Amino acid sequence: MPVPLLVTVPSPPTTFDGVTEALAVLVLLVVFAMMREALLRSQVRLYAFQSLAVAALAGVLGASQHAGELYVLAGLSVVLKVVLVPAVVLRLLSAAEVDLAGSHRFGVATMVLLGVVVSVIGFLTVSNIPINSSGVNSLPVPALSAAAATVLVSFVLVMFRADVVSQAVGFFSMENGVSVASLVVAARMPLILEVGFLFDLLVAGVAFGVLMRAHHRRSASLSTETLDQLRG
Amino acid sequence: MQLPPAAVQALQVLVVLFMAPLVSGVIARVEARLQGRRGPRSLQPYYDIAKLFRKEMLAPEGASWVFLAAPVVAFTSFLTVPLLIPVLTDFPLPLGYMGDIMGGGLILALGGFSVALAALDTGDPYSQLGSSRAMTFGALIEPSVLFVVFAVALITTTDLPYAMAAVDRSSLAQALRPAHLLAAVAFFLVVLSDTGRIPVETHTSTLEFGMIDEARTFEHSGPALALLKWGSAIKQMVLYVILVDVFCAPWGLAGSRQLGGVLLAVPVILAKALGAGTIFAVIDNSFSKLRLYKITEFMASAFALSAVSVLVLYLGGG
Repeated sequence: MPVPLLVTVPSPPTTFDGVTEALAVLVLLVVFAMMREALLRSQVRLYAFQSLAVAALAGVLGASQHAGELYVLAGLSVVLKVVLVPAVVLRLLSAAEVDLAGSHRFGVATMVLLGVVVSVIGFLTVSNIPINSSGVNSLPVPALSAAAATVLVSFVLVMFRADVVSQAVGFFSMENGVSVASLVVAARMPLILEVGFLFDLLVAGVAFGVLMRAHHRRSASLSTETLDQLRG
Repeated sequence: MQLPPAAVQALQVLVVLFMAPLVSGVIARVEARLQGRRGPRSLQPYYDIAKLFRKEMLAPEGASWVFLAAPVVAFTSFLTVPLLIPVLTDFPLPLGYMGDIMGGGLILALGGFSVALAALDTGDPYSQLGSSRAMTFGALIEPSVLFVVFAVALITTTDLPYAMAAVDRSSLAQALRPAHLLAAVAFFLVVLSDTGRIPVETHTSTLEFGMIDEARTFEHSGPALALLKWGSAIKQMVLYVILVDVFCAPWGLAGSRQLGGVLLAVPVILAKALGAGTIFAVIDNSFSKLRLYKITEFMASAFALSAVSVLVLYLGGG
């Protein structure tokens, strides 16, 4: 007779939890992909993909909570973060015509390992915060951990890539992490606040655009190494 | 008719033993087709092995018994693993409890280690270069393997490959949970690296400087080389079987020891291994090989995936 497998298996997450967690983890993994990506253009495309995952998360949440404003939020994120901001950065890049590949201060493997360590810290920290996500169809807490890890790993990206584009993309993906966190903690916050966040992003986009142009005009490169030599 | 457990157990080993060269041959043919060539016939690996068995065996001057023993040790260890993993049946056979996933990994590593020792023993610079590289990258990919095992252990509360497959089958939610998907992708990358596929190594290349695993067998000839070639085909098949039957598609295995069911499982596992092989062949043709010092990036990605998988499980039950 077949020997039965006597294991009691921990139950898997529900479909809703599984899908939303997978999307949140995808947002985190894209930051790791950004670290690995050498070409600046591909980095911007990865950011567009990450934003699409965030928008999908908002959409899934809207569908399960029957909340109209979450659909509006998802739509606005698609327009702004998937189309507009990446398009603007890509245009600036094609105007710059130099530095196709960004520079690394460390090897990629070192950065990824650092990212893993940092995301462990993020996961551990958030899992120790007693958050009550008891509402029906609210996002599972692991998504919040993934969001925190996304913010921290984006910091690593910003710190260890020495070019303006990576800094901008790292900052934007940090914003994506914050968006995921806000979807977990307060999915149904007033739409005006969400739009405020998005507007904030737009301002950051313009600021980084100006920075990229000014920096490129002055030093004919997108590397931030030259900034170190500035003295008052 | 009920088969005795020992017969099913033996059949698992025999299936892997005799089908592994066919899987290699078909993959080589698919690859050739993808590149617009006609390619060798699918049975070519059998002819190659038969030819090598008829040839004379030579050993370099000064080589010790390690050099002669290594092919046999490697071949035997690769053939031991099919006892531990679900090849034909979805229930563990008596010897299936002999070792867990770690045990299987250890035995596979023992095979690789003995080949590397033999390569060192020859004194040939290229063989030594290959064995040094194989050990270095083997050590770098090992953390990912460990974390995949941790993920499996956290999901199933055991570390038996059979239990993992049973959990996958139990519900679609189990198969699609984020942690399982991440672990499966990480293991996929591990298989890419362990079978010497393209982002890590060009397995058809004849250029010594890019070689890792291939370079180790330079000094072997005749029956020893045949055993090594056969052994690496078996290792590839074993890894495909683990990938498919434990992580990706543990369906279509025999549920009892009825003769018909067990016999039906043979073409099913062959088809699944060929399906996996086709995916690897497509990857082989669509990416370029990484530079040697960039391979660590590949290993780091695999590690990040498996580590995130464990994190999601351990801290969130994902």
